[in-house]
Amino acid sequence: MIEQICFNDVFTDSAKEIFETMIFMDLMQADDPNQQIEGDAVLGSITFKGDLEGCLAFCCGKDCAQTITMNMLGIDSVDEISDEDTCDAIGEVCNMIMGCVKRRLHDTYSNIELSIPLVVNGRQLKNTLGEGAQEVMEKVIIEDEYPTELSLLYREKSN
Amino acid sequence: MAKTLMIVDDSATMRKIIMRTVRMSGLEFDTIEEAGNGVEALEKLNASPVDIVLCDINMPEMTGPEMVKKAREMSSCDNTKIVMVSTESAQETIDGVMADGANGFITKPFTPENFQEKLMPFMN
Ligand SMILES: [Mg+2]
Repeated sequence: MIEQICFNDVFTDSAKEIFETMIFMDLMQADDPNQQIEGDAVLGSITFKGDLEGCLAFCCGKDCAQTITMNMLGIDSVDEISDEDTCDAIGEVCNMIMGCVKRRLHDTYSNIELSIPLVVNGRQLKNTLGEGAQEVMEKVIIEDEYPTELSLLYREKSN
Repeated sequence: MAKTLMIVDDSATMRKIIMRTVRMSGLEFDTIEEAGNGVEALEKLNASPVDIVLCDINMPEMTGPEMVKKAREMSSCDNTKIVMVSTESAQETIDGVMADGANGFITKPFTPENFQEKLMPFMN
């Protein structure tokens, strides 16, 4: 059994790595643990199974999701991107972060299979995974501006 | 001789990022095709083969490794080099897909230098 603290680090380091290298945005632990995402939000999630099963979710405001999308596509104007573009981009963010998490956990959990990411729009969105799941919830801030929530729900494979 | 390229990834965003990174790598291609999954890629490759395919692993319809196996059974892809581009980086995964006929592997996150290094040998 791995300590929860370890999962926190793996998770945040993975998200930081992806934001730094592929999205060119700064992602930091939030100073305010009670920060909330106001208004319309976008939640991307990706499930995984194997030695470890669960779901990773990335939730941010719509404005943040649009900025991430523009950065990834190299586009300057929000008018040039559609909701479909934003969903695709946030799905890929989840895919890449989970890929990093998987790589970092490989020595302990060598078999983890990822699903295709899923993205929804709405308000006060939340990631859940039935009974017996451990949760790592990280409140982060992107570009010192956008409150964002990273959540990793997981349980070890029951034999 | 300018080469032809196909980028296979289920994310349109990732296809754009790969395209931009390939351009930044300084490698020049005559045409760059796109496909959203393995099935679509094989159809396009069957109709008009390309020199190099950059292929994602985790995709709906048909995954990258499945696509590699099928492509290696197609005579139109005899001279096509297939380089996987994925967040997957477990050695077993890399060995498996290389054994099935892939010619290289680039892990996400990537840099233009990664593309330069892995694709350069196939540019001549
Ligand atoms: Mg994919």
